Amino acid sequence: MEQMKMMLVDDEERFLATTQKLLQKKGYDVLVAAGGKEALEILEKKIIHVVVLDVKMPGMDGLQTLKEIKTRFPLVEVIMLTGHATVESAVDGLKSGATDYLMKPTGLEELIQKAEEAFEKWRRMEEKIRLATSKKYMKSPREILREAK
Amino acid sequence: MKNRYYASIRKKILISMILVPVVPFILCLGLGYHYFTTSLETSTIASLKRIVSDHRQMIESFLTERTNDLEFILHATPFADLKRPETLLRVFNNLQARSGAFLDLGVFDADGRHVAYHGPYELKSKDYGGEAWFQRTMTEGIYISDIFLGYRRVPHFIIAVSTEENGRRWAIRATIDTHYFTKLVEMVRIGKTGEAYLLNADGVLQTRQRSGRELMQQPLDQVAYPDAPSSIRTYLARDATGERFLYATTWLKDKGWLLVIRQEKADAFRSLNAAVYGIVLISIIGLGAIVAVAFYVTGRIVHKMKAMDTEKESLNQQLIRAQRLAELGEMAAGFAHEINNPLQIIRSEQALMDLNFGELKEAGMLAPSETLEEIDDAMAQIKLQVERCAGITQAILKFGRQNEPKLQNVDLRSFIPQITGMVAKKASVNGIEIVQDIAESTPPIHGDPGQLQQVLLNLLNNAMDAVMQLHGPAGGSITIGAAPFNGGQARIMVGDNGCGIESENMKKIFSPFFTTKPVGKGTGLGLSVCYGIIHAMGGSMAVDSMPNCGSTFSIVLPPAAS
Repeated sequence: MEQMKMMLVDDEERFLATTQKLLQKKGYDVLVAAGGKEALEILEKKIIHVVVLDVKMPGMDGLQTLKEIKTRFPLVEVIMLTGHATVESAVDGLKSGATDYLMKPTGLEELIQKAEEAFEKWRRMEEKIRLATSKKYMKSPREILREAK
Repeated sequence: MKNRYYASIRKKILISMILVPVVPFILCLGLGYHYFTTSLETSTIASLKRIVSDHRQMIESFLTERTNDLEFILHATPFADLKRPETLLRVFNNLQARSGAFLDLGVFDADGRHVAYHGPYELKSKDYGGEAWFQRTMTEGIYISDIFLGYRRVPHFIIAVSTEENGRRWAIRATIDTHYFTKLVEMVRIGKTGEAYLLNADGVLQTRQRSGRELMQQPLDQVAYPDAPSSIRTYLARDATGERFLYATTWLKDKGWLLVIRQEKADAFRSLNAAVYGIVLISIIGLGAIVAVAFYVTGRIVHKMKAMDTEKESLNQQLIRAQRLAELGEMAAGFAHEINNPLQIIRSEQALMDLNFGELKEAGMLAPSETLEEIDDAMAQIKLQVERCAGITQAILKFGRQNEPKLQNVDLRSFIPQITGMVAKKASVNGIEIVQDIAESTPPIHGDPGQLQQVLLNLLNNAMDAVMQLHGPAGGSITIGAAPFNGGQARIMVGDNGCGIESENMKKIFSPFFTTKPVGKGTGLGLSVCYGIIHAMGGSMAVDSMPNCGSTFSIVLPPAAS
């Protein structure tokens, strides 16, 4: 069973540090990024399953980062973290491919629950992809012959 | 300032409302008066002229007839015969039978001696040879004298005729009874004050004046003479008493006598006066009516204007309040959003502390103690208070960043009972009676059903809190009603018999963060959110309340789109 790898993206350093500590204490593998750019750099290098992304950040904001992640790493599940209580900003996120949204201030339990759900989704997707890929390799001999022509 | 403005408007309306009808009104009356008086004067004068002309003719014919009588005697009876007293008596009696105007009759020879006389005076044998009248009679044949005293010292006038017989002229003379003649001349009767009299060429009265002047006196009137012998002159003048009279004068034919007819002006133009009184009466009533109507209508207009201005003012204030609320909402939302980030950190920190304490306790590094319990309690309290803050910021954000309402037609007749159903259980548990009063004629409205539900639930919950505060677990009553309102709109009323709203709180009731609930029980945002929602739907919301009697919230919503 694969272990969930999370990344928190927020411009509040203290929030990142404390939440990372909390999640690590709960036994999760957590990386942090202080902005959209940094997050994308980390995604290039490491395998991340779930990203918790703040909507409002200086520089590259949450929605832009989300779109970038979804084009470059479509399999990564993103949970939007919003200070807005309005559904609209969350809906915008969901339309752009976010898996779910959380409203600030959010509790640790809530965060873990949503992250687990997202990871579950990722795993199902991964499963489907693996199945599809293995089917591709298990082609009928006739097909292989046809391809050889 | 405001009052001065109304006073000036009032003045302007009044002036135009009075002047516009009064000017043509006065012109009409004036013109009517002018033409009426002119025509009346003309006709009055014409009738006076006709009377004068008739009267002149009558007097002239009287004089002519009397002269003819005498001429007949002169030619029918020889001088020698007439001298005899018995003949004279017979002739005189015949003469008197023809006209009672004859007083006496005398016969004169060529030298003017009074040879025979029949009458009341002793005039026989008197010599008239040197008298002017006798000489004129002898030369002209006919002579009618002016009034004179003569030998008898009594005013009288005579008619004398002469003829020639066998080469000798002789004459007869008759005296005309001045009373008889005066009566004849006076006989004219016009109105109450009309009178007629004769003047000789010297302006001496030849007949008595009914108004007091006697024969041979000068009249007190200013007499104007006609231009031509047979024409009639009419004029207005004052007599000696200062009274205004209408005069008509004309010369008698063949005699230097002037016939004067006069009548008091007021009498002559009596119907004119009646018309003047009528016109004055109509003017007074008409002007009074115009002024009264002007005052009444102006009063109404100014009153209406005041009412409209007041309404405008209150609408303006509502608009300003709504605008202020919207600005406040924007600001609050921004504020809440910024607060959420530090809240998030506090929450995370608290969770971390909690976790760390748990680990320490498990590791036995912290012995259970009162202090530790206190710390635990404090930690729990921090968590609780952060939750509370989160609740507040979320409510603020809801208020500030109102969703665009998704408008559709809503039938309140079925919509309101659904909402009442949602709170029915809570109400019955607390002993509150909910009365529904929804008119069948309530029109469908245009609004967002979700948001409208939020508003009505909020109002119902507030109402339940209010009645529970006043009545406790029994006796509360809430009425929710709907009815048609102006121009296809509908009005929803939510009333309760609860604790009501203090008058000093009425103005702040829709302001955000205003609450009368104990700390931690309410955010003070419920009603302001409701207010914002209803305004976004194009409706309006108002409250009416009496402390310890209850409150009624009313919502007016726009009519359904067709």
